[in-house]
Amino acid sequence: MGMNRRVLAVLAGAAIVAGIAVTAAFGAHRATPGVSASTITIGGTFPLTGPASLYKTIPAAESAYFAYVNDHGGVNGRKIDFKVLDDGYDPSKTVPLTQQLVEQDKVFAIFGSLGTAPNLSIWSYLNTHKVPQVLVATGDSYWGFSHKAYPWTIGYQPDYPGEAKIYGQYLDANMPTAKIGVLYQNDAYGKNYYAGLRVGLGAKKSNIVSAQSYDASSTSVVQQVLALKASGANVFVVFALPTQTIGALVTATKVGWTPNATIINNVSANPVFLKIAAANGGNVDGVLSTNYLNLVTTTDKNTAGAKLATAIISKYASALDLNDSNVVYGLGAAWTMTYALKKAGKNPTRAGLMKALKSLNVADPFSYPGMKLQTSATDNFPSEQLVFIKWGGGAAGQWAPFGKIYNHVR
Amino acid sequence: MKLVPIGVVVAVLVALPFLISGYHQGLATYVAIYFIAILGLNILTGYTGQISIGHGAFMAIGGYTTVLLSADQHWNLLATLPASLGISFVCGLIVGVPALRLSGVYLALATFALAVSVPQFPLKFSKFLGGSNGIHAAQTKSHLWLYVVGWSCSALAFAAAWLLLRGRIGRAFRAVRDSELAAVSSGVSLPIYKTLAFGVSAAFAGVAGSLLVLVTNGYAQPGEFGVLLSLEILIGAAVAGLGSLWGVIVGAVFIGLLPSVAPDVPLIGSAHGQDVVFGLIVVLIMLLLPNGFAGFLRRFEPRVKTTIKSDPKTS
Repeated sequence: MGMNRRVLAVLAGAAIVAGIAVTAAFGAHRATPGVSASTITIGGTFPLTGPASLYKTIPAAESAYFAYVNDHGGVNGRKIDFKVLDDGYDPSKTVPLTQQLVEQDKVFAIFGSLGTAPNLSIWSYLNTHKVPQVLVATGDSYWGFSHKAYPWTIGYQPDYPGEAKIYGQYLDANMPTAKIGVLYQNDAYGKNYYAGLRVGLGAKKSNIVSAQSYDASSTSVVQQVLALKASGANVFVVFALPTQTIGALVTATKVGWTPNATIINNVSANPVFLKIAAANGGNVDGVLSTNYLNLVTTTDKNTAGAKLATAIISKYASALDLNDSNVVYGLGAAWTMTYALKKAGKNPTRAGLMKALKSLNVADPFSYPGMKLQTSATDNFPSEQLVFIKWGGGAAGQWAPFGKIYNHVR
Repeated sequence: MKLVPIGVVVAVLVALPFLISGYHQGLATYVAIYFIAILGLNILTGYTGQISIGHGAFMAIGGYTTVLLSADQHWNLLATLPASLGISFVCGLIVGVPALRLSGVYLALATFALAVSVPQFPLKFSKFLGGSNGIHAAQTKSHLWLYVVGWSCSALAFAAAWLLLRGRIGRAFRAVRDSELAAVSSGVSLPIYKTLAFGVSAAFAGVAGSLLVLVTNGYAQPGEFGVLLSLEILIGAAVAGLGSLWGVIVGAVFIGLLPSVAPDVPLIGSAHGQDVVFGLIVVLIMLLLPNGFAGFLRRFEPRVKTTIKSDPKTS
């Protein structure tokens, strides 16, 4: 016991001594980390491995775009050094990796880190240390709405509830007597979508005859689809992740349910997934969704943006497939980052980068033609326009945009 | 227990924060967290012979206790640690009761089910537990604060484990491990000591879970406490060597630092290279050091030499 007490006494002493050193260790202040005479270093965390690793084409496309920028003179004479770290979509890994980027690699900004939970885990850390957390790859609305409390964070893509609201408005205007059946994921992601749909439907929300949820961890949605069919619904709305969306489309066909319209959410509307669903026997023709990206390989292929995308990907990342909308997403996010870095001037500061990202008013080549990135001091949603798209042509098919461009989606 | 190695370890840990950057203090805190968790598992598996592949579940319970008390009740973060210790202890006892009927691979499977199911609770009760978007504690702490608290907790855990295992309870644990039949016939109550081992072990894991949440900027989310975490702790315990307190620090360094160090190494740093190297090292350790690092240390201990002389008549 005597020895044990001695050990504790030593430890207590150590704790006191270490406590005194707190201020010393954190008092130091440096001018604009990550910017040298020849480079700007940025970094982000992405799921390169694990269950969400299908998103790894996003950082690959971003790296390709930065390589292209560097070969064309860089940003105001500096080359972009983009560090990609693998957090496997696990927030407890995101934290040390982001700390590594900020404190070891001394990055100028955290760019494009992927996933809602991973970004939430570093949200307060980055804002406390005044490190930009920009163009995060998640469609939750936190990033745009919380800009006062978290001024160093900004999102990129249109947010989920806003997207769902448009589906509600569409159904209200075009199918006022529809019986709507909803399949949604039983978490914040799915519930925000579902809430947005009800807002968009307004008084017509009573048209929802059945809403079935599934847990994110379960890959089968057969029970839910059967229940929706039995409810007599004739419009099928799916707010799910890619795997479950594919499953829902295939199952609906297999159980003989032929709704008048099927709507799937934007993040699951990657042409690659629709083709998988069709190849597995799902009837995907006529499926509706929304889009904000340049449809590079199909209807927009003659635009300057599509030609640039094709040139960059074939030269710098030929393994990537431009039918994968995540690749176009990556190009768009990297374009926006490059644009903001240029705007931040010859001697960029972190505050300057945030100012540039909060005063966007520009049409980027990788967005859907006619759309613009717009932000202001009070509007922190860079991309908030959507256009409806309809699938045609089965397993060899493609999206066809139709109708007007919806503005201020949120 | 020898004073010299303890003194060396304490001296290194006290000196370390003055020598390394804040970022590295953060990494060292991860080692402290794994140290506590592996220590806890070692009490259960190494000393009492009960396997668990579900310690991530107890870490989740501890972690959510801390974050809920901080976010909803505005508790001081330090005060949440004893609370999560207590709650995890009780949960461990509860799990220990059905585990009495199971042993070996069946117990492993039952605890594995725990590792899989507990992280689903926040999704099911998302109003209270935050769902997949998790919950933030009311405050975040600096690297140094985390380092000091993390290693202080480790020291306390080590002292507690040592005190527990050197006495009557430790002897009873070891008796249960070596032969349940012999233990019972010597008057050791199996139900009491088996559930107690589960409770103590879970309490350690709970504190480790609380610290994991604190080091993750006070953010608790189901993804942090997945099956992989339980497996990492088990691997850490295997590397450490079961039934030894000293190997634990090596197991903790292995689990805590490899994922952070590996991305900087050329070959290992590639997307899947890290996993391959990790697996390879585990296989090599199992082949070359079946008793873990502790077994490796034991080889250098002076031992009583016994020589058996062959009887010339029988040869």
